[in-house]
Amino acid sequence: MRLGLSCPDGRPPQEVVDLLCTAGLCGRFDGHTAPALVEEPAPACHVWLLASAADVVGACERGALDAGVAGKDALLESEPAVHELLDLRAARDALVYAARTHPGARSRRARPRVATRYVRVTRAFFAAAGEQADVLAFDAPLLAVRLGLADGVVELRGRLDGAAAADLTERAEVAACSARLVCGRAARTLAGPALEDLVERLRAQLEEA
Amino acid sequence: MAIPEGMRDVVPPESGDQRALEDALLARFRAYGYGHVVTPWLEYAETFAAAGDETLADGYRLFDRQGHQLVTRTDMTVPVARLAATRFDDEPLPLRFCYVAPSIRPWAPQRSQDGEFVQAGAELLGLGSAGADAESVTLLCDCLAATGLRDFRVALGSVAFYGALVDSLGLEEDDRETFLTALADRDYPLMESVAGNAGVDQRALGVLWKVLELSGSRDGLGQARKLATTEAMDAAIRRMVEVRDLVEEAGFADVVTFDFGMYPDLSYYSGVIFEAYAPGVGLPIATGGRYDGLLARFAWDIPGVGFALALDRLLDAMAEAGVAPPGAPPVLAFSGGLEEPARAAELRRAGRAVATLPEGAAAAPPCLRREGGRYVYVAADGTSEAGGWRDMRRALGLE
Repeated sequence: MRLGLSCPDGRPPQEVVDLLCTAGLCGRFDGHTAPALVEEPAPACHVWLLASAADVVGACERGALDAGVAGKDALLESEPAVHELLDLRAARDALVYAARTHPGARSRRARPRVATRYVRVTRAFFAAAGEQADVLAFDAPLLAVRLGLADGVVELRGRLDGAAAADLTERAEVAACSARLVCGRAARTLAGPALEDLVERLRAQLEEA
Repeated sequence: MAIPEGMRDVVPPESGDQRALEDALLARFRAYGYGHVVTPWLEYAETFAAAGDETLADGYRLFDRQGHQLVTRTDMTVPVARLAATRFDDEPLPLRFCYVAPSIRPWAPQRSQDGEFVQAGAELLGLGSAGADAESVTLLCDCLAATGLRDFRVALGSVAFYGALVDSLGLEEDDRETFLTALADRDYPLMESVAGNAGVDQRALGVLWKVLELSGSRDGLGQARKLATTEAMDAAIRRMVEVRDLVEEAGFADVVTFDFGMYPDLSYYSGVIFEAYAPGVGLPIATGGRYDGLLARFAWDIPGVGFALALDRLLDAMAEAGVAPPGAPPVLAFSGGLEEPARAAELRRAGRAVATLPEGAAAAPPCLRREGGRYVYVAADGTSEAGGWRDMRRALGLE
């Protein structure tokens, strides 16, 4: 099994690591940080790719990994050609729309300016709500608000704490997110039984928990 | 001078590999009685619009002098269907056509496909039986085996099974269409939302989620049988099993797996569908299936089944497996061959590919150098031999 783990903050979420360890997939995990390629991390696992969600999903899409773990937020944004096999119920969070609590005079505009790392999701969210928004791609959306570039953000709720988000109020939940086990199209056919074993082991762990 | 985004030049040695591969595939098509057809790379826009598929209708458009809207072909099955319906509709059935040809689609970086891509395909028209489905899958396996690949798998799915499954949800026409589009995009949240808003029975929806998980598995078939709730679903499963059994009888055991979660990228498919995969390539190296109903759009209602191999992905898979394209002869550089055309001709008559160079010109192995009245042959692995012409004939395996 060749497995990829997305590392939003340089390391895979601890809950995901714990889940994989109890399923026998990371016996020799010793705190590697992304980006890294870990050889033979466990008897049932030939290789671990620790990388960004985009890299993990891209490697699954192109057949270099049998499966990967990536956040639902990344999957929603990039719409990769992968199959979602299991909700790991770990690293739970939600994409939310938060806007300035006290919009300044410059922000009294008909359509809000929304900074986000999730441009496609944000556009779809406002379109579905029948609202117009000026969507701005920004890797640090909270700073875009502080710079006066945006009136609000679409971001993971877990990243909205701290001083930078002090002036923001959550207005709507865009999508619930958690870590998902995914596989590429080729792996469904070429690694079918091994993948099923993996899904069954992880599902059993989740049910026990 | 640049070339348009998404396009590329194909140069030696890759172009030689591709041509050798095309020849090998055409030979397999011929072995099954498929006749080679060539269609124009421009069609009237309505030809592709008739196929009723957004991806296929979305080709680059041009206008002729009479103002007709033309489109670059985005696929080969549609032109072959148009060709058959307009030129062969009084011929006895079945018809068997094959092609090796490029198609062009507006390029998008996320599509993992060049704007222009070469496909080798075979279409069997006029037979609606499981035997015809099986012939198509068998021919695909035969083609892949002929390339030297060993670890390929062909996943078998069924649009008919999916159609029956989605029918069992009882969605209104608009919702059904949105649901099927979401299914094709594997957009599960949208499917959940459509089903939720339409008040779909949770049990029926539960069956769908379970079916989506069934792939390439040892007991997937048994589970699918248990989950089948309608006669149409049962019939679709029976058909898949029949096709798998016939392909195994034809000599390709342990190659075909079932994938009940497979949904085709193109909307003209109507029954059994299949995709071939090989290690190291994430996207299918071949796709195909039954497309009853496509020819009816060209006023000839006969069934059809076929497939297309994506040559660039197939070459990637072969490179990954360390397999050389069948019959691609290594070119022997012959320094001094320009001055000795009779010697070069002798080698070519014996089946060697020879590129002649002036005497003294440097060449990478494998190469043959004339040095005065003697010759030096350097093999691809770097070993060399020197001597007269007779020694060279022996070194080159001509005696």
